[in-house]
Amino acid sequence: MAALPEPVASLIGALSKLPGIGPRSAERIALHLVQAETGAVKQLAQILVTARDRVQLCAVCGALTEKSPCAVCSDPRRDASLVCIVERPVDIISIEKSGTFRGKYHVLRGKISPLNGIEPEDLRIAELEKRLAQEPIKEIVIALGTDVEGDATSFYLAKRLARGELKITRIAHGLPAGTGLEFADELTLSRALEGRREMP
Amino acid sequence: MRMHLSHLRLRDFRNYARLDVDFAPGFHLLLGDNAQGKTNVLEAIYLLATLRSFRGVGSAQMVRHGQKGCFAGGTLVGQGDHEVKMYWSARERSLSLDGRPVRKLTDYLGVLRTVVFCTEDLQLIKGTARSRRRFLDLLLSQTHRAYLPLLQRYAQTLRSRNAMLKRPVPDPLALEGFSRELISAGEEIIRLRHELVPKLSPLARLAYRRVSNEAEELRIEYAPSVKRDFAVELAQSHVRERAYRSTLIGPHRDELQLLLNDRSAAQFGSEGQKRTLAIALKMTQAEYLTGIHGGPPVLLIDDIMGELDVKRRSAFLPLLERIHQSRGQVFMTATEENWPQELGRDVQRWVVDKGVLRKAI
Repeated sequence: MAALPEPVASLIGALSKLPGIGPRSAERIALHLVQAETGAVKQLAQILVTARDRVQLCAVCGALTEKSPCAVCSDPRRDASLVCIVERPVDIISIEKSGTFRGKYHVLRGKISPLNGIEPEDLRIAELEKRLAQEPIKEIVIALGTDVEGDATSFYLAKRLARGELKITRIAHGLPAGTGLEFADELTLSRALEGRREMP
Repeated sequence: MRMHLSHLRLRDFRNYARLDVDFAPGFHLLLGDNAQGKTNVLEAIYLLATLRSFRGVGSAQMVRHGQKGCFAGGTLVGQGDHEVKMYWSARERSLSLDGRPVRKLTDYLGVLRTVVFCTEDLQLIKGTARSRRRFLDLLLSQTHRAYLPLLQRYAQTLRSRNAMLKRPVPDPLALEGFSRELISAGEEIIRLRHELVPKLSPLARLAYRRVSNEAEELRIEYAPSVKRDFAVELAQSHVRERAYRSTLIGPHRDELQLLLNDRSAAQFGSEGQKRTLAIALKMTQAEYLTGIHGGPPVLLIDDIMGELDVKRRSAFLPLLERIHQSRGQVFMTATEENWPQELGRDVQRWVVDKGVLRKAI
């Protein structure tokens, strides 16, 4: 059996390192690229390089941005007393889509994960503490997931960040909006019950 | 609610190249010499119910020699009909229920409930506490939808926490974060086990009395690792767990005590008593599931009849009779010489010969 030319093999190798792309997909993309029109491939390469060059992390909050500080951090209309902690930059986009949060953000870039060797010092917590000293922050909203690591990290943050008048809250978890109880699993329901609120 | 397997379909499963067979409710006896594939049928049914082999082997061994993958599928009749299909190979595995891929295990488990009786059951008595915890866990996951996710969450927390304890200097606050998660999932597991065991104990005593030749009293008792307060005891174990670099307190260290006349069956029981006890525990499982679900599970009885004397065999009769009446289903393997003739009348007999299953005339 004739092997693939070396450049194709190394392209497959490089592509299969990307998230969500297995060996099969990598092979398909590679074979497509080496047979495509040269101009189109050059353009794609250029787009990749440009995107990587122009996108950076906001020095303040850690969001993806072209200009640091990012648009949210430098927007005077956003409430500077309210900061929402998220795990990944993409979580900001989810919250922004809801259109209800008017404060600023802080990206942790992960969560405490002993099984992956990620410790508190690997997260952007020191940066957040610096912000707490410098910015007029009155409330921290913790918006991490509710898996084991998300819950443990939330607890850690609440303890470590506690100071003076600072209010620390965590987003509620419970029933998805607009559904009946029958669609909720038991864990979700029991959490929703724990987090019940008094009605007026 | 009664349930049965009405159709079984195998492709390249163990020594079956292809098998398509319809099963009525009732009592099925699979007869044949050794190594013809009797147990493989039971294993396939158990696999459809639990996604595991009761032989405690990986799926690779279920693939017919020289083939890439194996398929097992079936039609389950219970609360409506269900179509299950499962394919396994080294490269891909898939499971579908009624034509849709299964995303969450909890949505699937429980569609078919089985209890298996096999020689490996002896591990329940002779084996480590882990096998007895698994017995409790299996029962709880078959009766509480929330139990399996809870157990998985606990196991994940435990792994994380142990990884943290292996660090030279674990961050105390981060460790506390994982301790809290461990405690909250752990307390719930302990509570459910605490509720379960007293319900099992009388069933087990009765089952044992029926199977046993002697008059000893069986008592099963939950012996949790946590005596009173998980949080307090976990904190007290801190120096020790730092030395061992591992979590020493919690439901992962629970024990289910099996006592014959108040003495440990594992330590003081005779070989025969242990065998009897293993059967009694499995009967307990079947009885308990029947009570909860209002219908018996499918019983898979693998080659244990030959080892039993008539008295112990006859202990099965009430259970089998009840399953017969409620139109449940039993699959039993035996060799031509040792099948229990006393079960004679309504038995549907099958002959297994070199990976082919056919109705006996």
